[in-house]
Amino acid sequence: MGLLTILKKMKHKEREMRLLMLGLDNAGKTTILKKFNGEDVSTISPTLGFNIKTLEHRGFKLNIWDVGGQKSLRSYWRNYFESTDGLVWVVDSADRLRLEDCRQELSALLLEERLAGATLLVFANKQDLPGALSKDAIREAMALDSIKTHHWCIIGCSAVTGENLLPGVDWLLDDIAARIFTAD
Amino acid sequence: MKHFLRVLTQFFVFLYCKCLWRTLKFVIRKVTGRCELQRICYNNKPGARRTLKIESSLRFSKNELLQSAVSAHPDSVEKTIDDIMTLKKINPDTNPQLGISLQASLFQIVGYRNLVLEVEKLRREPYDCENAEHEEMLLKLWKALRPETPLTGRISKQWCEIGFQGSDPKTDFRGMGLLGLHNLLYFAEHDKAAALQVLHDSLQPKHRPISLGTTSKLSKAEWEKKKFDKAIGYSFAIVGINITDLAYALLVSGALKTHLYNVAPEMPSLAHFQQTFCYLMQEFHKFWTEEDPSDIMEFNHVRAKFHKRVLKQLKNPNMTLCPHFAASDLHLVNL
Repeated sequence: MGLLTILKKMKHKEREMRLLMLGLDNAGKTTILKKFNGEDVSTISPTLGFNIKTLEHRGFKLNIWDVGGQKSLRSYWRNYFESTDGLVWVVDSADRLRLEDCRQELSALLLEERLAGATLLVFANKQDLPGALSKDAIREAMALDSIKTHHWCIIGCSAVTGENLLPGVDWLLDDIAARIFTAD
Repeated sequence: MKHFLRVLTQFFVFLYCKCLWRTLKFVIRKVTGRCELQRICYNNKPGARRTLKIESSLRFSKNELLQSAVSAHPDSVEKTIDDIMTLKKINPDTNPQLGISLQASLFQIVGYRNLVLEVEKLRREPYDCENAEHEEMLLKLWKALRPETPLTGRISKQWCEIGFQGSDPKTDFRGMGLLGLHNLLYFAEHDKAAALQVLHDSLQPKHRPISLGTTSKLSKAEWEKKKFDKAIGYSFAIVGINITDLAYALLVSGALKTHLYNVAPEMPSLAHFQQTFCYLMQEFHKFWTEEDPSDIMEFNHVRAKFHKRVLKQLKNPNMTLCPHFAASDLHLVNL
């Protein structure tokens, strides 16, 4: 009976993950969230505060937090760090002027103790725009190769067309699952 | 037994919808000598109560002429009314008021449909820096809200003072396109005092009274930090764009019909929609203050609650959303 209960419990155990989506304002965080959830992305307004969506994907229950990127909201980001499994950093690949700003914000985040165990996925968003920098250019500009503290991956995507969103999230889930669910 | 009763009720409801309802209409028509449209006009005051009933009566009619009347072109409304009068065999000389009442209602119905199209077109037009008209509107917005301070440049940190996110407002219009800019400018120009007041209040740091007991436990640095955290009201312009989103959702879902049929004597126009926006901005501001959220992170929660409240208000067919504007501005229904 004992073994059966344990087996059942293991099977039914909610495989829950908490993902935190951050980035500068106008990076496309809410659009990514809505597109991934299959919602209409044509009527999005700037995010004041945050959005949260809970959705099922590949048998995982994902709690995705999308927090506004406006400068005055960034001091609130730390309220959402607790028990984050994956950090999704969204970059507007067409916003060349603020890339340095973007790099600084990310490197400050990676020093946070409460994000120490989190996997990092960088979305080089807006690849559909004509002036967008390539994934590799963003990787260089953001000095991603110098990150040694976190598992990370960069993926070029477009939230509007939905291109590459799924491969990005899948990589993130695989990496987190390998880390936290191996005990099962 | 319970199950059986439920099936039975469902069956009767189905029967009612399918044929009893029509039979009932037919009998009442024979007894009173009046058709449904006449009865609606005689029994209901002008405004949303009457127009909503006429709209659903036309929409669910079997007759193609009546069905298509709700989507008539504004220019052909008068002809449509004549056709309906002929179809229903109503003599315009003995019922002079009926034609006028029906026409006013039909104008409201087709006007609402056209307003939805007009608003949608504005929303779909993205803000374009190359377009001189767009740029001029944006600069006018600055002048209206900050008459004392000249803008140092088109791209400037000053935009944050009126609540845009960064130094170029262009990216903040997003999904609401030009509609957001039109609304904000209308608010700033036509309801100037209220707009300046909301802007002023939104810039006030929100200091929470921190009680003495907690102060002693916190170090000075922590206290300063805490004070700083609370020192954010909300951002006027992007709240405006979010409220535009809310007004747009109310319009498209049809919830605004109650209000617009009550305030627009004939075709509701863009100005009516923009006045509704001004009202919603002020009401939201009041609501925000009453709710007293601890910080801006609760915005979406408060917004959803506000949305629910407005929807509930609009269920009442006598509701109008702008007691603030003078009756002369709105040409209140008076037929």
